Amino acid sequence: MQLFNLDIVTPIKEVKLGEINYLRCPGIDGSFGIMNKHREGIIALTIGEIKITKDGKSEYYATGGGFAEILDNSVKLIVESVEKSSDIDSVRAQKSLDRANQRKIEKDSEINNIRVETSLLRALNRLRVSKR
Amino acid sequence: MANLKDIRDRIKSVKSIQKVTKAMKMVAAAKMRRAQERMEQARPYSSSLSEVIEHLLPDIEIGRLPLLDLRKIQRKAYVVVCADRGLAGAFNSNLLKIAQREIDEFGKDKVDIFCIGKKARDYFAYRNYNIIESHIDFWAEMEFENAMMIGRSAIDHFTSGVVDEIHVVYNYFVNVAQQEVKSEILLPLNYESNKSGSKDRLYEPSKEELVNTLIPRHLNVQMWKYLLESYASEQAARMLSMENATSNAQDMIKDLTLQFNKARQASITTEMLEIVSGAEALD
Repeated sequence: MQLFNLDIVTPIKEVKLGEINYLRCPGIDGSFGIMNKHREGIIALTIGEIKITKDGKSEYYATGGGFAEILDNSVKLIVESVEKSSDIDSVRAQKSLDRANQRKIEKDSEINNIRVETSLLRALNRLRVSKR
Repeated sequence: MANLKDIRDRIKSVKSIQKVTKAMKMVAAAKMRRAQERMEQARPYSSSLSEVIEHLLPDIEIGRLPLLDLRKIQRKAYVVVCADRGLAGAFNSNLLKIAQREIDEFGKDKVDIFCIGKKARDYFAYRNYNIIESHIDFWAEMEFENAMMIGRSAIDHFTSGVVDEIHVVYNYFVNVAQQEVKSEILLPLNYESNKSGSKDRLYEPSKEELVNTLIPRHLNVQMWKYLLESYASEQAARMLSMENATSNAQDMIKDLTLQFNKARQASITTEMLEIVSGAEALD
């Protein structure tokens, strides 16, 4: 299978993954896969899981949303956060999920509802990916 | 001449101050290195974002984007990025002086101020300027969230039409020995759309929606960069001024020690004279 280059850029770090076979991203309108020679474009991403296949092995990452820029034979993911499944502390993820749930129940009027909802989604996603 | 005990006490106090300034210098150096690292790390993200925006803009009707809207400037907002603490040489005072001059040139009553850092808030509050918001006490545990919060409120202030232009005044980190006060326009965004892009590309969702979510992200990163630059500059300025303070203390200790030895010698000489003349009187 032909390979293509993948970089992931976030405000606090840059991950260069080199040549990969296959990439799956959480698009706003549903998950989509990218292989070599994909049509160029820019696609918005949401909170979810990124799957990367390299040398026949698959790795999973949790992301907080952003953009995928697909260029000729290379893809750049410009995302707010990215974490490898093995790097996620599942105990901490569970704790932040509980916290987000708690906040949702309490419905503190000072905290924006959308923000509570997104933090809940993010926590759920991290926990799910950590179990990969 | 001051007596021996006074001089000895003076030396002691100068020495303990020197210890403090030395420690502050070391702490500032460590913090500055961390801020510099973070600056390096933020660079690829922000340049990637601007690249994407530049790719997109040629294909879009710019007039429809509120954040690129060039209006007649009737009211401005200034984001003044300062420190929470002093003892950093001319870091705060230089910046505040320049910010105040610019604001006064446009007219004090026509400017809203976002104060970042205690020093900025205190300065402008005391002089009765029009402060909209102040963000303080976050430098020590600065996160990207802080930049997002400031960015969001600045964007809202612009899009709601209260102000027609937003400036940022901050200290730009040239190198360890040099920081430069810069005043930049944050909004409206100024993009030259001379590129004739329009390749056959895939956009999901539409280009307009993409740009509308891209630009606030870009501004947040911009804000994050300003905060990091300012923080690194602050620590560099503090490091330098504390180094000066330490060497000044060293000079002072030297002078005082000389004075102390002279005074001691003088007292010994007078004592000896007294003894000798006393002995002579007995003869």
